[in-house]
Amino acid sequence: MRRLSWVALVMVVGVALVVGTRDDGGAPTRDERAQSLAERFRCPTCKGQSVADSDAPASEFIRDEIDRQLGEGRSDDEIEAYLVSRYGSSVLLTPPRSGIAALVWVVPVAALVLASAGLVVAFRRWGRSWVPT
Amino acid sequence: MNAAVGSAGVALGLAACVAGVLTLVVGIRRGRPPLLAAGRSFVTLALLGAVIATLAMERALVTHDFSVQFVADNGSRATPLLYTIASLWSALEGSLILWVLVLTGYVVAVRHRFRAQADDPLVSWALVVLLAVAAFFFALLAGPANPFREVAGAVPSDGPGPNPLLQNHPLMAIHPPFLYLGYVGFTVPYAFALAALITGRLGEGWLSVTRRWTLLAWGALTVGIVLGAWWSYEVLGWGGFWAWDPVENSSFLPWLTGTAYLHSVMVQERRGMLRVWNLSLLIATYSLTILGTFLTRSGVLDSVHAFSESAIGPWLLTFFAVVVLAGVGLIGWRGDRLRSPGRIDSPLSREGAFLANNVLFAAFALVVLLGTVFPLLVEAVRGDRISVGTPYFDRMTGPVVLALLFIMAVAPVLPWRRASGQLLRHRLLWPAWAGAGALVVAVASGAHGLGPLVAFALGGFAAGSAIRQLVLAARASRRAGRSWFHGVSGRANGGMIVHLGVVIVAVAFASASSYQTERTVRLEEGESARVAGHTVTYLGVERSETAQRRVVKARVQVDGGDVFTPALSEYPNATQTIGTPSVDWGLREDVYLTLQASPTIEGGPAVIGVIVEPLVSWLWIGGLLMAVGTALSAWPGGRRRPTDPSSMWSAEAGTEPVSSSAARSEAEGPVGTAARGPA
Amino acid sequence: MVVVALVAVLATRDPAGTRLGRSPLLGKVAPVLAGESIVAGTDDFDLAHQEGRWVVVNFFATWCVPCQEEHDDLVTLAADHAAADDLAVVSVVFSDTAANVSAYFADRGGSWPVIDDPQGQVITDWGVTGVPESFVVDGRGYVRAKVVGGITVERLEQLLVDLASGG
Repeated sequence: MRRLSWVALVMVVGVALVVGTRDDGGAPTRDERAQSLAERFRCPTCKGQSVADSDAPASEFIRDEIDRQLGEGRSDDEIEAYLVSRYGSSVLLTPPRSGIAALVWVVPVAALVLASAGLVVAFRRWGRSWVPT
Repeated sequence: MNAAVGSAGVALGLAACVAGVLTLVVGIRRGRPPLLAAGRSFVTLALLGAVIATLAMERALVTHDFSVQFVADNGSRATPLLYTIASLWSALEGSLILWVLVLTGYVVAVRHRFRAQADDPLVSWALVVLLAVAAFFFALLAGPANPFREVAGAVPSDGPGPNPLLQNHPLMAIHPPFLYLGYVGFTVPYAFALAALITGRLGEGWLSVTRRWTLLAWGALTVGIVLGAWWSYEVLGWGGFWAWDPVENSSFLPWLTGTAYLHSVMVQERRGMLRVWNLSLLIATYSLTILGTFLTRSGVLDSVHAFSESAIGPWLLTFFAVVVLAGVGLIGWRGDRLRSPGRIDSPLSREGAFLANNVLFAAFALVVLLGTVFPLLVEAVRGDRISVGTPYFDRMTGPVVLALLFIMAVAPVLPWRRASGQLLRHRLLWPAWAGAGALVVAVASGAHGLGPLVAFALGGFAAGSAIRQLVLAARASRRAGRSWFHGVSGRANGGMIVHLGVVIVAVAFASASSYQTERTVRLEEGESARVAGHTVTYLGVERSETAQRRVVKARVQVDGGDVFTPALSEYPNATQTIGTPSVDWGLREDVYLTLQASPTIEGGPAVIGVIVEPLVSWLWIGGLLMAVGTALSAWPGGRRRPTDPSSMWSAEAGTEPVSSSAARSEAEGPVGTAARGPA
Repeated sequence: MVVVALVAVLATRDPAGTRLGRSPLLGKVAPVLAGESIVAGTDDFDLAHQEGRWVVVNFFATWCVPCQEEHDDLVTLAADHAAADDLAVVSVVFSDTAANVSAYFADRGGSWPVIDDPQGQVITDWGVTGVPESFVVDGRGYVRAKVVGGITVERLEQLLVDLASGG
C-alpha cells in the first residue's frame, strides 16, 4: 500500500514537471532579446544593478544602444562584444568564462566536489568500524 | 561642550576596558578573586562610557551643534527628528558609537547572567575577550574614527543632512540597530569559545549554555537582513529586494555560518562530536562580521552603503586577522582535547545530515565570499576590472539552496545514529505528498521553468516535514497533559517554525524573481493601461514642498480601487532626484509603481513604471515567522548548569517516544518539551 | 586560505579615487566623432580631420556642477592653444537640451564645436557613464587618456607633456 503511494507520487511529480517545463516555443522576440541582453550588463554608475533594472542615464543610453543594434540585426554576441569594447569587461554582470575570471566559476564547484568526496571517504571509513549496539 | 563630553565618554570606555582586561587577566593568573571583582566593575564603567558618548552625540545631532565634525557632515536643520536621531548610525563614526553601546550592553548582561559562576576562570576569560574587543572599538573611536572631532575653521550654520535615500523610510531607523544586535551579539559566543579553548575545558556544555545568546544574535541578524531587503524594496525603486550587493553579502555570510553552527552544535550536545566544526563555524561567524564591517566601511568595494573611504580600513583588517588567528591558533593548540569520543555511524542519521548541512552551508558561504571579493582579487593581480553580479550568484547558489531544502525536509525525521530506508519512507510519505501537491498547485497557477518548480516542490516537502513535526509534538504534549503550546515552543519546535519561515522566504524569492512582469507606460491624465492582469489609471500629480524636500506625487489608481502615490523628490542639498515607489501589496502579488518622469507641462502625460511581482509579501511574512520561531525556540525550558558535561545523552538513540500513529516506537525528536530544554 | 589571500590583497590595495580613468579605448584608434555644432558661430566638427592636433573630447551637461566649474578652464585652454592651433576642443552634450546649451555658451563663452547626442550614440560609442568626462586624443587619432571629473588647465597641460614624452 505504501509502496503504491510512493509510485503514484513519483508519477504525479513527473507529470507536473514535464507540464511545467514545456517550452512555450518560438524564437525570442526583439523585446525579449532586449530585456535579456540588458540583464547581462551592469549599470556602470550604480552599485551592482543591471542595466535592465536601473534608471540611471548611463543605463538608459545603453538600453537605447542595445535597441538600436537589435534593429540593425546584430547578434547578441556582437552587441555584447561592442559594449565590452567601449565600457570595459567590468560592464558584464557575469564574469567571462575564460582567463583568470574562470576561477570564480571553477573554485566553488571544485570545492564542493572535494568536500563531497571527503565526506564519502570519511563515511566509508567510519562505516567499517561501526559496531551494532 | 558636546564634543568634550563625548570624547570623555569614549576615553572613559577605553580606559575601563583596558583596565578591566588587565585586572581580570592578573586576577585569573594569580587566582585572586578581589581582582576579578574589580575587573567586573570596570565592565559597568565601560557601559557608562558608551552611554555618555551616545547621549552626547545624539544631543549634538538633535540640537544641530555643527561645531562637531560628524554633525556638520551628517546633520541638517531640515531633517525630521526621527531621522536625525537615526543619523547617528547613518555614517561610519556614529555607527561605531552604536557598536560600542550594544557591545558594552551585552557585556554587562553576560556578567549579570553568569554572576553565579563569577569566580570561574572561564567566565573571566570570556569577559576578558569581550572587553578586549570593546577596547579595540573604543580605540577606533578615540583615534582614527573620532566622531567628536571639532570642525576646523568656521562653524557652519547648516549641514547637508544624511543621504536622501536614508531619510525616506522609517525602516532606515531600525534596520541597522537590528543588524548590530546580531553582529555584536556574536561576540558573546565567540568570547566563550575562546575562553573554553584557553582554559582547555572543552568537554563542558559552555557552547550549549550560550546557545540562547547565539540564537538571539542570529535572530536579530535575520530580522536585520529581512528589514534590509524590505527597505531596498520599498525605497530603492527597482522592484528588487536582494542584489547580491557586497554589503548585503557581508551581512549574509555570518548568517550562513551562524545557521550552520546553530544546527551543528546540537550534534555536539548529543554525541560530543563535530567540536572542531563548531568552533570553526563560530570563529568564522564572528570573523565574518568583522570582515563585513571592513568591506563596507573601508570603501574597498562599491556599494550603496559604502559611505566613504576611511582611515579605519587597515585597522579593521588587522583586527580581522587577529580574530581569525586567535581562534585558529587556539584550536590548533588545543587540538588534542577536541577529538571527539564518538564517530558518525552512518550517513543516514541526524548526525550525518548535520554534517552534510555544514558542508552545504560552508559551500554556500564560500560561493558568496568568493563572488564578493573576486573583483578585488582580480584587479589586484591582473589590473583588469570584472564584475560579479546577480546572475553568477543565482546560478551558483541555486543548487545549494535546493539541496538545503531537501535536507530540511529529511533531517527532522532522521533519528540519531542510524536510520533505515524503510523508516524514512514511512515518515516522509506525507511530506512528500505535500511537496507533490505544492508542485501541482504551482504548475496549475502557471509557473514554469525547472529551477523554480523544483524549488516549489522541495519547499512543499520541507514544509510538510516541519508541519508533521509540529503536529506530532502538539499531540504528544496534549497526551502528556500539557497545553499544545508546548508543542510549538522549545528548541526543536521553534526550529520547525523557523524552517517554515525559511521555506516561505525561499518560495517567495523564487517566484518574485522568476515571474515578475515589468512595463513602463506613458499615460495622459485619466488614461489607463493593463499590465499582467491589473489596470493602472493615472489621475494626475500633486506637488508639495517642505523644508526637507520638494515632492511631485503621481496619483495612480490600481484596479479601480485604492490610489497610490509614487513620487519623485528633490532634496536641496543633493543633486539627484530620488524616486519613491508606491506598492499595492497583496497576498498573491504586489503591484509596484514608480514615477519615471513627471509631466513636463501642467496636465501633461507622466511616465509610470509598473512591476507586478507574485508572492513578494510572503517574504516579509516568512521573515516574521522566522523571528517568531526564534523567539519560541529560545522559550525557557529546563535549565542546565554550564559545567555539566556536554554529551550526557550520547548513549541512547533518543528520548521519549512520541509516535502517534504507528505501533512501533519512534526514537526521534521533538525533545524540547522535556527537561532537556534549551539552556 | 581564501582569507589569507584576501588579507594580503586588501592590505596592499590603493583606495579608489584617482582621476585618470580606465577605458578599453586607451591606446586604440578613437571612435568616429563627427557632426554639426549646435552653438552658433562655431564650425562643424570631424575628428578624422584633426590630424596633427591634440583633441580634448569633453562630455558635459549644463546641469552638472563640476562641468560648470571646468568650463572656464576649457575656455582658457582653447584660447592658449589658438595661436599654435595644436589643440582642439570639442564638447558632446550628455542628456541636456540644445536650448540650454546654446544659452550656456552664449553666457559663459567658448567658441568650439558642440555636438548634440540626444540618442546617446556617441555616449555609448565612447563608453561614457557620467559627466564630466574628457578624452585626450593625439595627433594620429589614438585615444591616449581619459579624465574622469572636471579638468584644470594645469592638469591637462601636464598630462599633454607626459603623453608627448611617452607616458
